[in-house]
Amino acid sequence: MNTQLELLRFAWRNVLRNRRRSLATIVIAALGAAAVMISGGFALYTYDALREGAAREFGHFTVAHRDYFQRDEETPLQYGLAGYPALIAALEQDARVTRVLPRLNFSGLISNGDKSMVFMGMGADARAEGEARGVFLKLTDGALFGGMDAGAPRVLLGSALAKSLNARPGSPLTLLTTTVEGGMNAVDVEVSGIVSTGWPEVDKRLVYAPLAAVQKLLLTDKVSTLAVYLESTDQTPAALADWRAREPKPEVREFRPWWEQAFYYQSVRALYNRIFGLLGIIIAVLVFFSVANTLSMAVVERTREIGTLRALGALPGEIVAGFAREGALIGTLGALIGMAMAGLTSAILLGLDVQMPPPPGRSEGYPLKVYAEPAIYAVAAGVIIILCIVAAWSVSRKAAQRPIVEALGHV
Amino acid sequence: MSAPVIELRGIVKHYRMGDNDVPALQGIDLEVASGAFVAVKGPSGSGKSTLLNICGLLDGFDSGSYRLSGEDMGGLDEIARTLIRRRRIGFVFQSYNLVPVMTVYENVEYPLLLAGLPAAERRERVMATLEQVGLATLGERRPDHLSGGQRQRVAIARALVKSPSLVIADEPTANLDTVTANQVVALMRELGASHGATFLIATHDERMTSRCDVVRTITDGVLL
Repeated sequence: MNTQLELLRFAWRNVLRNRRRSLATIVIAALGAAAVMISGGFALYTYDALREGAAREFGHFTVAHRDYFQRDEETPLQYGLAGYPALIAALEQDARVTRVLPRLNFSGLISNGDKSMVFMGMGADARAEGEARGVFLKLTDGALFGGMDAGAPRVLLGSALAKSLNARPGSPLTLLTTTVEGGMNAVDVEVSGIVSTGWPEVDKRLVYAPLAAVQKLLLTDKVSTLAVYLESTDQTPAALADWRAREPKPEVREFRPWWEQAFYYQSVRALYNRIFGLLGIIIAVLVFFSVANTLSMAVVERTREIGTLRALGALPGEIVAGFAREGALIGTLGALIGMAMAGLTSAILLGLDVQMPPPPGRSEGYPLKVYAEPAIYAVAAGVIIILCIVAAWSVSRKAAQRPIVEALGHV
Repeated sequence: MSAPVIELRGIVKHYRMGDNDVPALQGIDLEVASGAFVAVKGPSGSGKSTLLNICGLLDGFDSGSYRLSGEDMGGLDEIARTLIRRRRIGFVFQSYNLVPVMTVYENVEYPLLLAGLPAAERRERVMATLEQVGLATLGERRPDHLSGGQRQRVAIARALVKSPSLVIADEPTANLDTVTANQVVALMRELGASHGATFLIATHDERMTSRCDVVRTITDGVLL
């Protein structure tokens, strides 16, 4: 039989020598591995959900006047995009682009005659926005507008704003804003629908109005940005690079990807990385000390045996390698059981509709899902196995160097 | 005439006990011829085991010289001594010291595994040695399913399987009844002769010393 296999078989028998103790250690290694795999899978799912939400909110990349991203406008649309229909036509030639949504940001007062509120508005095709943003823009009442009726003076209100104004679909309201020339202008509108973004602070101020109506209100033919949507978020870097390379006036127009605008995504990711990183370190320490404790007891119990093997001609390194094999077996078993536990957890959560409570600043929870990500499983399993090997090495090294006569006399 | 397997000259060994130096061996001179069956007897604490440990390269010495089959063993580092033990020295312990997780076959095979012999050769030598000690049918048993005599026979097989030039046996019959002890001594003599091994045995068992070629007595670290 192959020598290494034979040595592995001895190691396995040594693991089984004190079954209860080894089982407890394997369970700890398994729980540690599962905890890392589950928390890693949950973090990945959260990153993906936030990434998708951000990409759907901003577009996979945004085209705007270069100064739009860097300076505050002194008058509305000071850094707006002119001649954008040609750019939209060019963008739509790209097979990766699924839609290009022009947006015009504006603000002002909205009134029901009795009460006025500050609003943050967007002139856009609400139906196309709804399609692009999917679950991240939820219509709670009424209907979206767009297409042929895109120019009609209708608005969508954020749910909290609608509540403040006591507005429902069909309610008449007035929008008052500043034109690009600095004058005041107003328009009477009818509420088409009520929407929720899941962000209470946004829903308190949100107004969607048809782009043409807002351009007419602001006396402009510009837009603030073009939100470009691709077939897949993964295409963003390549598409962005292509469009940046072919931009003839980079000093005027800028193409900015979603991740440079998604500050919430970046913050959550940084926070989760720290939390789950710390959790991983704690788990690693627990597993290390558990395995070290188990194997140090085994080393003490087997001191005389170590002396015998040394007398027979085993080098200290070969003794340590024997314990390292035991550590590797414990770690491998723990990692495999941990993988099964994590995989089962992911499968169960996929079938159940378990909701997480709303995160800070949001009004809606989100489904609790855990990705069964092979890369995370491989890394977690590898780390657990390495930890077990290192623990075995650290506790057996000294015993293997002990004088043989002393080891043989150990009682 | 071939060189002695063991050639000790003026071996001195002290143990440190707290602040005191305790002399264990005080200028030992010993020659053991190849193939000899030599016993060292003496009371407990006389230095028998220390002498055997030095001869078996399990322990070092403070001064003097030791030549094993003509080769100087002084100044060797631990790795070099380990590799010499691996190839050229077998051990039989009073408490057998078999590895409990290994079967009889595997215990005997282990020194050959360390020596890196191919599987086929290992199998051939292990089976032949087990046959010689009369345990060929018990190869799959674990040591805890054997009697004391059987265990000592496994230990003898383990010591001789690699055909060492020297076998160190520390009180090999101390834990055995008379009949079994006699069988074990006979076996050691017989196998020693067939494998060409020299035996150096520490004992105070008369059943053992009466069957040895040479018996030396050690008292207070001095070989008489």
